[in-house]
Amino acid sequence: MTLFLGALTIGLILSLLALGIYISYRVFDVADITVDGSITFGAAICAVLIVKGTHPLLATLAAFVGGLAAGAVTGILQARFKLNPLLSGILVMTSLYSVNLHVMGKSNVPLLSGESFTTWAERLGRAWFGQPEVNLLGWLVSARDLVTVLVTLGMVVVVCLALYWFFRTELGTAMRAAGDNPQMIRALGVNVERYRILGLALSNGLVALSGALLAQYQGFADAQMGIGMVVWGLASVIIGESLLSSRSLGLAIYGAVAGSVLFRLLVAIALRWGLNPNDLKLVTALFVLAALVLPQWLQRRPRPGLSVPHR
Amino acid sequence: MLTVSNLFKTFNPGTVNEVCALRGVSFDLPEGAFLVILGGNGSGKSTLLNAVAGSFWLDEGEIQLAGKNVTRWPEHRRARLIGRVFQNPFTGTAPSMSIAENLALAARRGQTRKLGWALPRRFMDELRDRVRQLKMGLEDRLGNAIGSLSGGQRQALTLLMATWLKPALLLLDEHTAALDPKSADMVLRVTEDVITRHRLTTLMVTHSMQQAANLGDQIIIMHKGTVAYRFAGADKQRLGVDDLLARFEELRRREMLDETVADLLRENYI
Repeated sequence: MTLFLGALTIGLILSLLALGIYISYRVFDVADITVDGSITFGAAICAVLIVKGTHPLLATLAAFVGGLAAGAVTGILQARFKLNPLLSGILVMTSLYSVNLHVMGKSNVPLLSGESFTTWAERLGRAWFGQPEVNLLGWLVSARDLVTVLVTLGMVVVVCLALYWFFRTELGTAMRAAGDNPQMIRALGVNVERYRILGLALSNGLVALSGALLAQYQGFADAQMGIGMVVWGLASVIIGESLLSSRSLGLAIYGAVAGSVLFRLLVAIALRWGLNPNDLKLVTALFVLAALVLPQWLQRRPRPGLSVPHR
Repeated sequence: MLTVSNLFKTFNPGTVNEVCALRGVSFDLPEGAFLVILGGNGSGKSTLLNAVAGSFWLDEGEIQLAGKNVTRWPEHRRARLIGRVFQNPFTGTAPSMSIAENLALAARRGQTRKLGWALPRRFMDELRDRVRQLKMGLEDRLGNAIGSLSGGQRQALTLLMATWLKPALLLLDEHTAALDPKSADMVLRVTEDVITRHRLTTLMVTHSMQQAANLGDQIIIMHKGTVAYRFAGADKQRLGVDDLLARFEELRRREMLDETVADLLRENYI
């Protein structure tokens, strides 16, 4: 049960990463590898500030702003300097590796004594339940773990609602259109380049937010923690889409969160059953590959009486 | 309203793919005029339209629109003054977004987009009315993704989008060429309707002689990046499909001679 709650929390924290990837991958149709750097960037900023005694909320917000900046740089490389989107991401990710080491001063910053949203959740748990363990549907679970899940869920719901609202505003619909059909929205007076920069900034802001929460939850920030995170996010988004075949905006956001949680749970189960943790990234990558290739493969088989579907 | 003077544009200069697309095009268009641009493939008619829309920078020349020199304005800035319908019905709409959202985007053409709700109730009421006027039954399907509609329906909606806010200039780029004949007729009917109702200054590119003869109050025939013929007023109204075909035949014959010889012959004998 503890394992389950832990996987749920991490799944929820990483769902912010999945939402960021949803913006870059689904709205703007780029696999933005900046994510590998910006999640660590967020974690590093947050950890260092907390160790210095900053309020955890402020530290988390600072991480979000840092992510915005990192994403904006990638956006500028793509939109203003017309660099290949993948190359822009690679350049920023690589430079962020050095930046992160500078921010942290070393390759690992532990949060042993600092305040964080988890210590806050712990206190909240004591206040609510008055005892260290709670009976949840017949299982005894730690009050701290339970409240941490609930607090994380609350934050994710707030972010989802904010994102849903944003994408239904004039600005947000124009941003979606800038990804969907740049030629059309340019003819309607939108500076597509600027919206692309804004979109990638928002995407990486969310990713850095996810990194900040992850650092607080696991109790440290590490220079290596971002490796493979973009693939993780892609897997979550793809699972979410296959869960809910609808393309509507609300369901897409919900799907990214559900996909992230489900994927984390599957990984926890696989590890429990004896999957070698070293194989985790390979398995994740193979999963994404299969999810991208299988539909093409199934479609290629001739189906009599059906024409090839196109937009 | 629109003054185009001495436009020059060469694509891929200095390479084997060098194309002189515009070679000194000039014309002006008073407010409320409807100019049809006719020409064969590679005559520069679409390039001319794109030059006005701002899709690329000109090598030479100047474009004045609604009293402003827009020559150095990027495309998205010119969109404040210009409504545009493309040849490909897929180009004018965002396929994965709903009909209502697409029109809401058009309702703020050229304006700053803020954090207000994109689809307020007041807008939805107006939207339903204006879509109903298309008489296509789409007013009950405003929440559907626009990508699920036919090319003709999308093109009619694109026309509504381009003219939602009255544009200083409406650009139509062979906007019925990719449609089946029935849809093309429908879109053409909607086009004429909206242009006459709002008295829109219009620039329409076509390669259909029939459309060129029936529509508009002025016509220019493009050839090799220049304006070969121009008709306006009563001359334009008298012009039939046969006359247009005769002009094209003349252009074709002229092309068979060496250009300088053709000029010489024309100057001395025509």
